[in-house]
Amino acid sequence: MSARSERTLRGIPTKPYDLLLEGILVLALVMALVLVLAALFGSPDSPTVRARDVARLQPLAFVRTTARMLAGSSALSGYGPPYTHDPANAQRLLGVAPANWFGVTEPVAPARDLVLAPLERAAVLDPSLAAPLAAFRGATVAQQRAWARAYLGAVGKAEVSGARVVVPPGAYGPVPALMNGMLRLGRSGLLTGALEAGQRHPYALDLSRALLFFQGSVDHAVARSLNMTGNRWGISHETGPYPGAWWLWPYTFLYQVPPMASSPNGDLQVVLIVLVALVLLPLFLPFVPVLNRIPRWIPIYRWIWRSWYDRQR
Amino acid sequence: MNLTQRFQRVLQRNLTLEDALPTRMPVYVDSLAYLFGAGSLMALVELVASGVVLAAFGPSWYHHRPVGRFVNSLHFWGVQVFFAALVLHMAAKFFMAAWRDGRWPTWAVGMLAFFVALFTGLTGYLAQTNFDSQWIAVQSKDAINAVGGGSIFNPMNLGQVLTLHVVVLPLVIVGLVGVHLFLIRRDGPVRPLPDTKAAEAGR
Repeated sequence: MSARSERTLRGIPTKPYDLLLEGILVLALVMALVLVLAALFGSPDSPTVRARDVARLQPLAFVRTTARMLAGSSALSGYGPPYTHDPANAQRLLGVAPANWFGVTEPVAPARDLVLAPLERAAVLDPSLAAPLAAFRGATVAQQRAWARAYLGAVGKAEVSGARVVVPPGAYGPVPALMNGMLRLGRSGLLTGALEAGQRHPYALDLSRALLFFQGSVDHAVARSLNMTGNRWGISHETGPYPGAWWLWPYTFLYQVPPMASSPNGDLQVVLIVLVALVLLPLFLPFVPVLNRIPRWIPIYRWIWRSWYDRQR
Repeated sequence: MNLTQRFQRVLQRNLTLEDALPTRMPVYVDSLAYLFGAGSLMALVELVASGVVLAAFGPSWYHHRPVGRFVNSLHFWGVQVFFAALVLHMAAKFFMAAWRDGRWPTWAVGMLAFFVALFTGLTGYLAQTNFDSQWIAVQSKDAINAVGGGSIFNPMNLGQVLTLHVVVLPLVIVGLVGVHLFLIRRDGPVRPLPDTKAAEAGR
């Protein structure tokens, strides 16, 4: 035994102990428990949401999502760093916006990168897209957005005819042709590839653009149907009847509490509360007055060391 | 004195073979509460073992082959058992005020390992490559971006997520757990709190 241990345990009686045997027994217990749980319950594995499926099964949701990019009304438009050059929209607290310190490191221009660039790639195979693309590019940004907004207003009255979305007559410019082009691209299963083809590194390991495309109403609708939105006391679920990341409930719960629940700076507020209350406080808890006395007031320690106290009496 | 001799001295002062692999324990180490730490350690062993198999065969295997799905389930339930044991371990150490007598470094390193484990859990969800991964990636990015973390970590970048989850974070956890275990065995189990009930009875 080291000099340090001799000092620490001086005067304390000891008993025989077998560390390895204890380790092996606990490992066996853990393995048995995990085997039984895995055999009985399996694990969640809900299929990915694919552009092809959305375009085929929910064409109106698909064109609505796409038109929002052109109208500048998607969640990504004006997001701020790290995606867009809109520092005013970065979340801030007391005037401090940490996101702005690092700038735009993952630049994404929704209309250009998520709609027009894929359409240009598709136009190589689908020449009918060339004219509407040229007409759209030739217009001012204000005109482009006005067409897209008008189209969005008409989607509610649109009809799906085969692989096309047909809107009532209106001032949409070339937007209906572009939307049907995107719909064809989506139905073909080539949209994800067309989105990722635009990234800086051609080896497709970064799925940002494909994931950002459906992050809005489409993903939310799927998550809602799977009870994954966590709007009941922040308890977010796994897909299916599984416990999910219950160890994050103290964090997700904060999103249900005012002002974080409705604040545009909610994420920053939640992260700062987590940093102080759930990281720094537990880390330095032994030095925090009152909190470091709690174990003495709640006599759980008497149960843990009951044989020692019995021995002392 | 050369470097090896110095290292021998450090070990003699802090961690002999009997400290590292004890054959005797203080008599007060006599409760199930002492097993929660061992439980989380062994769940970590199970996670590394099942994780190595998942990494070796890859996503297509663990999504579509029955054996792959079962190993994926072993990993999933291993995570549940790991965090359950860890929460019980942390609660037990809190109610034992186990940071006493200079043991704050053990407490702090354990906490850091827990925080890294939480981040590893997040990257695990992101690395599943199913709807959970898609949903959690687009949801978690906002909190990460709000504090400027988006320039360092992008939850939608599967390449980064996968290497973090499979290589970097497990190495950090194993390193922190190694330091935690070294400190535990160097300092020995904390002495029981004074028995206030007995003191009151004797008064």
